[in-house]
Amino acid sequence: MNKLFTIALILGLTGCSLFASKVEAGTNINGTVESRCTVNTDTSGYYGNPNAYTLTTLPASAGQVPIIRIDTSLANAYKAQISYPTSFSSSPSLGDTTVWTGGVTVEQTSSTDMSGYQAASTTADGGAMRIYPLSIAGATWFGVSSVATYGGGQQKAFPGGSYTAVVIAECVAQ
Amino acid sequence: MCRSVILWVLLCSSVAAHEMTPTYPKWQTSMIDGVHKTTMEMFNKRQDVKWYEIGVFDKEWKAIPFVTSYKVIQLDYLNHVKFDVYITSNNKDKAEYICSLSKLRGNSNNKPMIASKICSRFK
Repeated sequence: MNKLFTIALILGLTGCSLFASKVEAGTNINGTVESRCTVNTDTSGYYGNPNAYTLTTLPASAGQVPIIRIDTSLANAYKAQISYPTSFSSSPSLGDTTVWTGGVTVEQTSSTDMSGYQAASTTADGGAMRIYPLSIAGATWFGVSSVATYGGGQQKAFPGGSYTAVVIAECVAQ
Repeated sequence: MCRSVILWVLLCSSVAAHEMTPTYPKWQTSMIDGVHKTTMEMFNKRQDVKWYEIGVFDKEWKAIPFVTSYKVIQLDYLNHVKFDVYITSNNKDKAEYICSLSKLRGNSNNKPMIASKICSRFK
């Protein structure tokens, strides 16, 4: 009787352990981490019109600076290239020249290790494009200021109508 | 703690994003002799954009001829798309970047709109 009980116990335990190992094998969760870049348009921005001949995104002139967030999942995989506008994408007919100025700055970062991004950046396209090597994984917020002055320095009034200019935010694999 | 809460709020406040993978695609042989292909994936979280233009460029950012189903792809908000890009074998080694650029509609607001562009690189 004891022998029968022992055999039954051994078989039972073996069965349990087999069952348990089977459950364990079914709970694997696999994943891979690959480099990825996401360009987010956090704030679209708009122009204020402080006087007849100026359109500006500066908040002091009732404008709003567009904010772009670029997220990278791995370090040194991408560079960010942000350009302020140098022409209108749509506007009324303009007979005179428009002078464009602007700038791109790092507004915020997800890590203090990214504090050197602005100093490490370079410019291209006559200064309109600023290039940031994204050497640390995480999120970076860029602000893009833009000022358009009409009349080629003679302060002529912009013709009435709607004006649109485009900020380009690029994420280019290194 | 406070900083992480602020960061979380800022991350969650994002309403518009553009994403393309893989970062480093590879050319594969296709079913047609002398033609190679690669597969890309794109995700649109920009409510203000429905169309993305695909381009293939060399090291100097000069355009390289390629074929895909649509050069300008319609991608609705919160949708994914996988697309194949085909290139001839003699252009395969010249191709350095494959990019997707958001196409913006002209609108009537005085807003500087943001065009997003993501470029993957052949290594």
